[in-house]
Amino acid sequence: MKTIVLGIGNLILGDDGVGVHVANEIKKHINLPNVTVDEAITGGMNLLDLILGYDKAIIIDAVKSENSENGEVKRILLSDFATIHSCNPHDVSLSEAIEMAKKLGEDRIPKDIVIIGIMMKQIPCEFGEKLSKKIAAAVPKAVEMTLNEIKNEV
Amino acid sequence: MKTVTIDPITRLEGHGKISIFLNDKGNVENAYLQIPELRGFERFAQGRRAEDMPQITSRICGVCPVAHHFAATKALDRAFNVEPTSAAKKLRELMYMGYFIYDHTLHFYYLGGPDFVVGPDAPPGKRNVIGVIEKAGVEVGKEVIKHRAYGQKITAILGGKATHPVCGLPGGVSKGLNKDEVKDIKKMVDSCIDFAKFSLKLFDDIVLANKKYVDLILSDPYQLATYNMGLVDKNNKANFYDGLIRVTDQKGKEKAKFDVKDYNKYVEERVEEWTYIKFPYLKSVGWNGFTDGKESGIYRVGPLGRLNAAEGMATPMADKEYKRFYETLGGKSVNSTLAFHWARLIELLYATERAKELINDSEITSQKIRNPVGEPGEGIGVTEAARGTLIHHYKLTKNGLIDKANLIVATTNNSGAINMSICDAAKGVIRNGKIDDGILNLVEMAFRAYDPCFACATHTLPGGMPLEVDIYDHNKKLYKTLKQNL
Repeated sequence: MKTIVLGIGNLILGDDGVGVHVANEIKKHINLPNVTVDEAITGGMNLLDLILGYDKAIIIDAVKSENSENGEVKRILLSDFATIHSCNPHDVSLSEAIEMAKKLGEDRIPKDIVIIGIMMKQIPCEFGEKLSKKIAAAVPKAVEMTLNEIKNEV
Repeated sequence: MKTVTIDPITRLEGHGKISIFLNDKGNVENAYLQIPELRGFERFAQGRRAEDMPQITSRICGVCPVAHHFAATKALDRAFNVEPTSAAKKLRELMYMGYFIYDHTLHFYYLGGPDFVVGPDAPPGKRNVIGVIEKAGVEVGKEVIKHRAYGQKITAILGGKATHPVCGLPGGVSKGLNKDEVKDIKKMVDSCIDFAKFSLKLFDDIVLANKKYVDLILSDPYQLATYNMGLVDKNNKANFYDGLIRVTDQKGKEKAKFDVKDYNKYVEERVEEWTYIKFPYLKSVGWNGFTDGKESGIYRVGPLGRLNAAEGMATPMADKEYKRFYETLGGKSVNSTLAFHWARLIELLYATERAKELINDSEITSQKIRNPVGEPGEGIGVTEAARGTLIHHYKLTKNGLIDKANLIVATTNNSGAINMSICDAAKGVIRNGKIDDGILNLVEMAFRAYDPCFACATHTLPGGMPLEVDIYDHNKKLYKTLKQNL
């Protein structure tokens, strides 16, 4: 069982980088040969490339949601999104990338894809390296949920 | 007045929002694209080490990390008064071709292509890359994946990770190529040349052979006679990595040609109160509102802008395609917004041919890859991002820290034209308040052709309704909402 944990986000766009902050924390807590922890600033096709060949992918990312509280952390399955917007406009969504890969006979798609989403009402548009108070406070919870997610499988 | 809002824009998944204003007869009065721009870059950059800028700016946008990386590196070459070694320039340009290969492939097959290959009237659920594969075949799909990955691999071999290049340094690059890497790249490049030729053939067979599509390309709502801008080499052939900025008029005649350091003498930026986005225009012509023609200083960049601003491509096969492009579409300049897609494929072919020239260059394995830097000062760097001219401007302190930083990105250069294209397309297809999904796609197509680049990072939960159309009555009261599920 090979697992990849990917923190997604942009470290110079404030709260958007929260996924990477969480991944960096995770690295301090675990050191298992069959678990890879990495960060990425990408979505869609590139994201799919990064998770191919693993049995399970845990993606930690900021999620824009109008119906949640800032800093709420949720475990989301890919199928819960009707659309997952990739992190950049010049790409397809992860769901679309996966659907296409399946169509082309790709057999290295992880069986399990779980998203640990840190909810926020607004994704920031201002450069900065710091997390806001509420989002910073969500990091330990996201770390705990990610570690549980890893433990369940190992 | 009725207001139609397309929000968020499908497929181009930034925070962009198109607002279309109808008059009381239900015809389009005006249309605007609103993009919340990333703010505060200058403050963010101030006081940082100048050498960090290529890494930092490559994170600005997940779309063109390589373009930002090298616009920054080239600005630093000048700011540190150093000319990169000849081998370093070739290594940088080769990496840049890798970036064009994956970026243009992605846009044609995944984002813009679905409109043509699947068809503009196809249901939205089919107008995506999966629809393209269903129509063009699984084998084609595999080729697309393979060559997009090749482009990324070439970039990664030269620059570290494709998404965060780390090789650019003032005066050169940090890493050369060894013989094994050269062998790998050669193989990939040969395959990419065939793939680019195949893609042009596909465009011929599916788009140009279909009168309906050609008529659509040449139809009135998609014509915009602006000035054009792009980098050219000493023979006025299009170049992506280096050269002078050339501007041509609506007939393809040279209007201006200048080094990027004189950018401010030629281009002015217009500010409008309804958006943060600035609208650059040619100073010598002036601002004449959102209009095209000789009297309006608005210009276009990107694949079509570059082809119009040049007098040909510097490689043989791409140059042949360039000539055919103008013969087919009625000579210079080509003003059809939808011709961006064809232009993009011609550029893809150029990028692969140029990559081959570079990888076969005897200097490409040279280890003379960096010159020592001079005293810090001020520098402006320019590259052609896949979607158009990109400029970085830095002023350094005497200790080599950033004092002032300013970026002019491709989508900003195109912002005036994008707004007009949306408005024209809307006028052509929305009449007497009649709006359906197919019609809206025709409006989006005008916008998608530019392959614009927004601020990163839009995630929406719950998904389900990526396209929302709100129609307001003349009291601005919502009376109807159309939702499009992808």
